[in-house]
Amino acid sequence: MKRKSILQHAGVWLHLLLLSLCLSLSSCLSFSVPGQNGQNPPPAVTDPSETDPAEIDPSSPDFVLIDLPTYVGSAYVVLNNNVPVFSPEELTTEGYEFYSPLDALGRCGTVIASVGRETMPAEDEDRGNISSVKPTGWVQASYDSMGGQPLYNRAHLIGWQLTAENANERNLVTGTRYLNVQGMLPFEDMVADYVKETGNHVAYRVTPIFEGNNLVCSGVQMEGFSVEDNGEGICFNVYCFNVQPGIIIDYATGVSSEGGEKPVDPEAETNADGEVIHDYVLNTNSKRFHYPNCSSVGQMKETNKQPYTGSREDLIDQGYQPCGSCNP
Amino acid sequence: MHLIVTLDEQGGMLFNHRRQSRDRVLTADLLRTVGNARLVVSPYTAKLFADIADASSLVVAADPLAAAGEGDFCFLEENSPGESMRKVSTLILYRWNRHYPADVFFDADLREFTLTQTEELEGFSHKIITKEVYQR
Repeated sequence: MKRKSILQHAGVWLHLLLLSLCLSLSSCLSFSVPGQNGQNPPPAVTDPSETDPAEIDPSSPDFVLIDLPTYVGSAYVVLNNNVPVFSPEELTTEGYEFYSPLDALGRCGTVIASVGRETMPAEDEDRGNISSVKPTGWVQASYDSMGGQPLYNRAHLIGWQLTAENANERNLVTGTRYLNVQGMLPFEDMVADYVKETGNHVAYRVTPIFEGNNLVCSGVQMEGFSVEDNGEGICFNVYCFNVQPGIIIDYATGVSSEGGEKPVDPEAETNADGEVIHDYVLNTNSKRFHYPNCSSVGQMKETNKQPYTGSREDLIDQGYQPCGSCNP
Repeated sequence: MHLIVTLDEQGGMLFNHRRQSRDRVLTADLLRTVGNARLVVSPYTAKLFADIADASSLVVAADPLAAAGEGDFCFLEENSPGESMRKVSTLILYRWNRHYPADVFFDADLREFTLTQTEELEGFSHKIITKEVYQR
C-alpha cells in the first residue's frame, strides 16, 4: 500500500485557501487559477511551448485562466506555454496529496500532490469500487453513437495510478469518457511512467472549472512539473475539455442528449451534400489532416503543409486520415 | 543507416520538447540491438544513457540524422526524419502501446519498407512494448 502523507505545508494550505476563495468569487464566465501573486492576466491559451527546459521557473511568472478555451476538436489545449505555476512549497521531493473540501454545492475543488513512488498503488494493488460516489451532475446516459457505452465516468482528478485514491468524493467528478480517456489519461500515464522509471517526484495539480453554479465542470486544468530535474522530464499546463463529441451536455444539471457538441465552429458552412465545410491543414507526406490550431501543425515541414477548405468526408475519400491528436 | 524511433498509439514522439515516455527494458534492448555499432544521438537523448555503463558506442551529435552514416544506428526522439528517411535502410519502431500527449509526430512514409520482425517486450513501466523492424 502507498504511504500517504496529507499535506502539512503551511504555504500550500494558504495557497489552496486562496484558490478556493478566488474560485468561489469568480463570476459566471471568468475563472481564476491564481499562483502566488493572484494577478497578471497573460494570454490564456497559446500554442505548444518553445520553452527551453533550462529556462523554466514554475514559481514565476504567474498565470491566470481568464476565459475558458473553446473546444475545436482537440481533447486538450496548452495553457501558458505549457508552463505550470507552483509555489516553492509545492515543489517538494516528499510525497503528499491534498484534496479540497467539497463546496456548498457539493462540487470538487483543486487537488494537488507531489506524486512519487510512495503515493502510487502497490504493484499488486487492485482498484477499489468507486460506484458509491455520485459526483455532482451525475445523470448517467448511454448512446448508440458511443457504442452503447455510458457517457459519464467517475473521473479521478488525480488518477488512480498516481495516488491510489478510490472512493474519495473529493477526487471524483462527473466527466465524459472523452475527457477521461482522450484528455486526462495520456497525461496521467506520462507522469506515472516517469515516476516509475526515475523515482523522482512530480508536482501535480488538477483544477476542475465550473461555470457559475453548474454541477458538471466544463473542463479541468492539469499542471505537472518534475521536481528533482527541474521540469526536464515533465512540464505541462493544459486544459482538458469535458465534452463528448456528438453529445450535448447541460452543464447546469448533467442532463445530456444526442446530436451536438461536435467541434464548435460558428463560421462553419455546409456543402450541397450537407457536409460541414471546415478549414484544415493537410500533411501531404503523412496523408493526415489537422485542424489549423492543432499542435502538430507547427511541427510540420512547410513543404508538406497544405491548407484545405472542404469537408472531412472529401478528405477521407482522397486517402487522408484524421489526426489522432485533434480528431478533426 | 538504421533508424530507431519510439511511438505512442497516435504516432506521437514528443510533447513540449520532452520524450513521451521511457522504459529501462527498452533502453537495454536498444543497446543490445546496436551491439558494437555506433549509436548516434542528440545531446538530449544522450542523457537517457547517462547512467548506463555499456553505452560506450554512443556518439553525440547536434544533428544525429546528418551525423549517422551507413551502418550506424540513430536513435531519434525529437523530430520526424523527413527527407533523411532516404538514408534509412532499417527502421526499428518501439511502440509504447499507450496514448500520450504529443505535438511532434512521426510522419514518414513506410510504403518503401517491409515489416520483417515483430517482438513483444515486457517493459518495466509498460505492460507490453512492441518492437517492429522494417527493411527497405
